[in-house]
Amino acid sequence: MNLVTLYELLRGPLLWLAFGVFFGGMVLRVILFYRLSKRKDGVIYRFFSWKWLWLSIFRWIVPLNETAKKNPIVTLVGFVFHICLIATPIFLLAHGVLWYESWEISWWSLSEQVADYMTLIVIGCGLFFAIRRMVLPHVRIVTTAADYLLLAVTLTPFVTGYLAYHQYFDYNTVLILHMFFGELMLVVIPFTKLSHFLMFFFSRAITGMEFGRRSAPSW
Amino acid sequence: MAEKVAVDPQAFKKAVDDRTNARLKMWLEICAHCGLCADTCHFYLSNDRDPKLIPAIKGKKVLEAFKKKDKIDEAFLEELYWTVYGDCTMCRRCTMFCPFGIDIATITSTGRGLCVSQGKVPENLVKTIESYYEYGNQMEVSEEDWIDTLQWMEEELQEELPGATIPIDKKGANLLYTVNAREPKFYPMDISQAAMVFYLAGEDWTMSSKGWDDTNLAMFAGDLKAAGYVSQLVRDAAEELEVKRVAITE
Repeated sequence: MNLVTLYELLRGPLLWLAFGVFFGGMVLRVILFYRLSKRKDGVIYRFFSWKWLWLSIFRWIVPLNETAKKNPIVTLVGFVFHICLIATPIFLLAHGVLWYESWEISWWSLSEQVADYMTLIVIGCGLFFAIRRMVLPHVRIVTTAADYLLLAVTLTPFVTGYLAYHQYFDYNTVLILHMFFGELMLVVIPFTKLSHFLMFFFSRAITGMEFGRRSAPSW
Repeated sequence: MAEKVAVDPQAFKKAVDDRTNARLKMWLEICAHCGLCADTCHFYLSNDRDPKLIPAIKGKKVLEAFKKKDKIDEAFLEELYWTVYGDCTMCRRCTMFCPFGIDIATITSTGRGLCVSQGKVPENLVKTIESYYEYGNQMEVSEEDWIDTLQWMEEELQEELPGATIPIDKKGANLLYTVNAREPKFYPMDISQAAMVFYLAGEDWTMSSKGWDDTNLAMFAGDLKAAGYVSQLVRDAAEELEVKRVAITE
């Protein structure tokens, strides 16, 4: 198999597969959560409250809580990391071109210079988290190999993307690795703690309502 | 001290299956191991920041139990027991400060519930739960003693406030006043003082001959069956007396 067929595989069927597993997996998770909760988590529905649901999510989706106040550095790095992590691949010009080529759809994109900085920020924040895991005893003790592995899975698309953009090393190989790692990340999300990108909202809502029914804020 | 009981893997597996719910599964899966819960835990802070005492570790121990199911042994049960009883008071402070809102207190309570399936419950808590079943209150106060205490307190009350009463089983009252069983047992004056407030406030209130203990220590054992039974006693009393509200002691 040469690089061209590999490229076409990653650009075609495997990309479909990755998106399929990612979206399908997450939809399935929500369905399974809903079904089990209907049977075993009566407390959610008995004390359901839109007010506490939104308040709880809002207070944490923007850093308006005690934890953010007490941990300003982790909060700052965490927010910058997540914003760049999500925005960079979606608004990257090169990705936009691919969408346009395939579907003739396009949307606003970042300038290449800004996207380049944002990529470096993601990698830098990721390294910060890795070092934090190694240095702080109370973080090290809960850290498992999976935590490092998932951090690596999250960072590799950005590292290879950066290398590809600057055409360091062999461009074709780096590009293929970039596509592979990007698809790998999408695939593992539904099955690992990375699913928190969606389950965060469920958990926050539930705890917000649980505290809220006693008129206590959970932030 | 806990009673020494051999491990019953099948009962443990059944407890795990019974207690598995959507919230717990989600929480045990999404914990990012960020360690931000550490500074919120009084066990961690008061033990020279011993990393073994951060809330996430306790959640992990219960997660292990959920994974082991019927493959548990005595050594693991012992570890689980000391984690859920020795290292956590279920105060929910970490729940409040967790970015994901992971409810470690509920997870600990579930861990205690798993221990119940093995008869692994602190001795005093076992006695207390037995007392609820036998006497309907945590202090082994018989109905006779209870009524006697209330009448005695009414006499004391009337010496100070002639005309004031402690109504018992008054149907259709506005308020059913419930107490901690420690009050009739050790501090009966608390009851007459509450009665004094009700009398001066002109409240239409009553006490009940049954279902008057508003404590629920079975809850602390994560023993949902017993905890449900104890709550039901007060509810039954309120329904039988057709009161509008139940007030609990301070």
